[in-house]
Amino acid sequence: MADPLLEVDELVVEYATDAGEVRAVNGVSFALDAGEFLGIVGESGCGKSTLLFAVAQLLSPPGEVAGGRVVFRGRDMVRLGRGELQSMRWRDYSIVMQSAMNALNPMKSIGAQFKDTLEAHGSVSSDNVRKRSTEVMELVGIDSAHLQSYPHQLSGGMRQRAMIAMALLFTPQLVIMDEPTSALDVVAQQSLMTKIKDLQRSLGFAVIFVTHDMSVVSHYSDRVLVMYAGQVAEAARTDQVFERPLHPYTRGLMSAFPSVRGPRRELLGIPGSPPDLAHPPSGCRFHPRCPDVMPVCLGREPELYPVGDAEVRCLLYTETAKKAS
Amino acid sequence: MAEAHDSQAASPPVSAPDPGEPLLRAVDLTRHFRLGGLLSKHSLHAVDDLDLSINEREIVALVGESGSGKSTVARLLARLYKPTRGEIYYRGRPLHSLRSRKDQLWYRGEVSIVLQDPFSAFHPVFHISHGVMRNLALHRPELSHAERRREAERVCEAVGLTPRMLDRFPYEMSGGERQRIGFAQALAVQPKLILADEPVSMLDVSIRVGVLNIMAGLRDREGVSLLYITHDLASARYVADRIVVMYAGHLVEEGPTETVLSNPKHPYTQLLLSAASDPSEKEAEIAADSGEPPKVIDPSEGCRFRSRCPYAIEKCALVTPRPTPIGASQVACHVAVAEAERASNPASIS
Repeated sequence: MADPLLEVDELVVEYATDAGEVRAVNGVSFALDAGEFLGIVGESGCGKSTLLFAVAQLLSPPGEVAGGRVVFRGRDMVRLGRGELQSMRWRDYSIVMQSAMNALNPMKSIGAQFKDTLEAHGSVSSDNVRKRSTEVMELVGIDSAHLQSYPHQLSGGMRQRAMIAMALLFTPQLVIMDEPTSALDVVAQQSLMTKIKDLQRSLGFAVIFVTHDMSVVSHYSDRVLVMYAGQVAEAARTDQVFERPLHPYTRGLMSAFPSVRGPRRELLGIPGSPPDLAHPPSGCRFHPRCPDVMPVCLGREPELYPVGDAEVRCLLYTETAKKAS
Repeated sequence: MAEAHDSQAASPPVSAPDPGEPLLRAVDLTRHFRLGGLLSKHSLHAVDDLDLSINEREIVALVGESGSGKSTVARLLARLYKPTRGEIYYRGRPLHSLRSRKDQLWYRGEVSIVLQDPFSAFHPVFHISHGVMRNLALHRPELSHAERRREAERVCEAVGLTPRMLDRFPYEMSGGERQRIGFAQALAVQPKLILADEPVSMLDVSIRVGVLNIMAGLRDREGVSLLYITHDLASARYVADRIVVMYAGHLVEEGPTETVLSNPKHPYTQLLLSAASDPSEKEAEIAADSGEPPKVIDPSEGCRFRSRCPYAIEKCALVTPRPTPIGASQVACHVAVAEAERASNPASIS
């Protein structure tokens, strides 16, 4: 098989705080093939946004990569210099942030921001700028007349589409998305997700999609990575996760949202709150909130155990893992 | 009635309400905002001719996209805005008649509000107890300091927090905890109705259910009514007894939760329902709709959904549909109403 497009290997990210080093991302590994759609799911504070920033090499102090590698197209991004990263950014990979209102420049029209981006990567004739800008606007389904519009003149959904159009200016191989739909209404959210999936299918780029809402990725991602307290709790194919979630945390996330159809039943969510990463609990990090907690969970830290072609960080699966090996 | 053993003994006399009178009733509620300068003639119609009622011990979900006017409704009911037209009756009393400070205080004690953003709703330099205790001092002056503290602890426990939380600062609390404090603060004044404006939309999915369960608990244990404003039909279904769907300032469909969701009549409700992703289903229906509610500036007559509506007929551009009963629901749609009429008397040809 060909090498994956992106390989994250034992990545560790630490923030220096007054209370000492806080490990926001603790030994996360995953691989992403070209054209694959990976969903990363977890609560606020689980390290999912930090992970994205580390992959994109956008961390700023006090955060820094303390170990591990991020290999994108054969090059270790952690060791690349500023200049090399700058030429790769937006050309080879791009990012769509959570809040497009804050990510777009309020003082410049959408078209002017597209022009800036295009010109940052080599001199382009104004004809080409206009042509390419019009093309990407049409791709995401906005009238190209809005190139003259300023961000405040667009609705939330349109701004987010404009951000995606901007991310596609160079047809990158990887688009990283940090909760792009969470500020949108249901109808706009659904149509944006459908658009992203269509574009991903037709243009063939890979997507890393971060969200706290499992139901958003359910119909769109190929694989799901569930994160808890800076670690991967479960990694599996999307259909597997939804049919047979393995980790008690994944099951909690799955049963946290009410359904519009089907029987009406009482939901419990996940009691408690995510752990303080400066003082993570002993043993399994999920044990204080876990409904299936066993005495052994308090002392022993679980590894990622293979179950079928999924992986899960839970001591419930030590036996199945042994049998398999 | 219930007032007899209530601590609101000092409240203005409430005329004995009609037996059928709901707790709160809005009639023809309308709010326009003038746009532009002093001489501008343009106005934004945020809410138009809305009829709404909330009964005792009832959770009513007000559902719609951003820009549908649902937050304006909450602010009108909380008396943060004055209606352009129409009247709100609380226990049969028209709100415009509440003029004295005493009356206004009484209403604010009966109807309290929980805001959307738990991160900006608290004063950052005061303990959490500050807001709760101030509410108590203002609305229940008969309590001594020690009683106020006890009451603050009680409401804290009612929303599932330990009383220790009262001595924390807002920055020490998570979003879910803050939103619970928001409810505790609203609850401290012993309201009969809580207006909750998107109380869970800023929270993680994993803690949303906790807050929804608290809302259901307030209804079941404290006998409080709630207006739950949301764009999420699934959570509306989870807690609400009745659903009101708004589009561009108009009520488009209203009825008991299960009736509306199992058999939505209005095309907009159908669209909302198809957009609510449900992972238990194999493949999501692809909504081709871009999801842009219109800005209603100087609207002409006609149904406001017609440009997005797959069933629009000529009449939709000419006559504004009014809510019309179909079964247990009210639906404002020419097509749906005509269809229901045909179904109910197939023999008659009109």
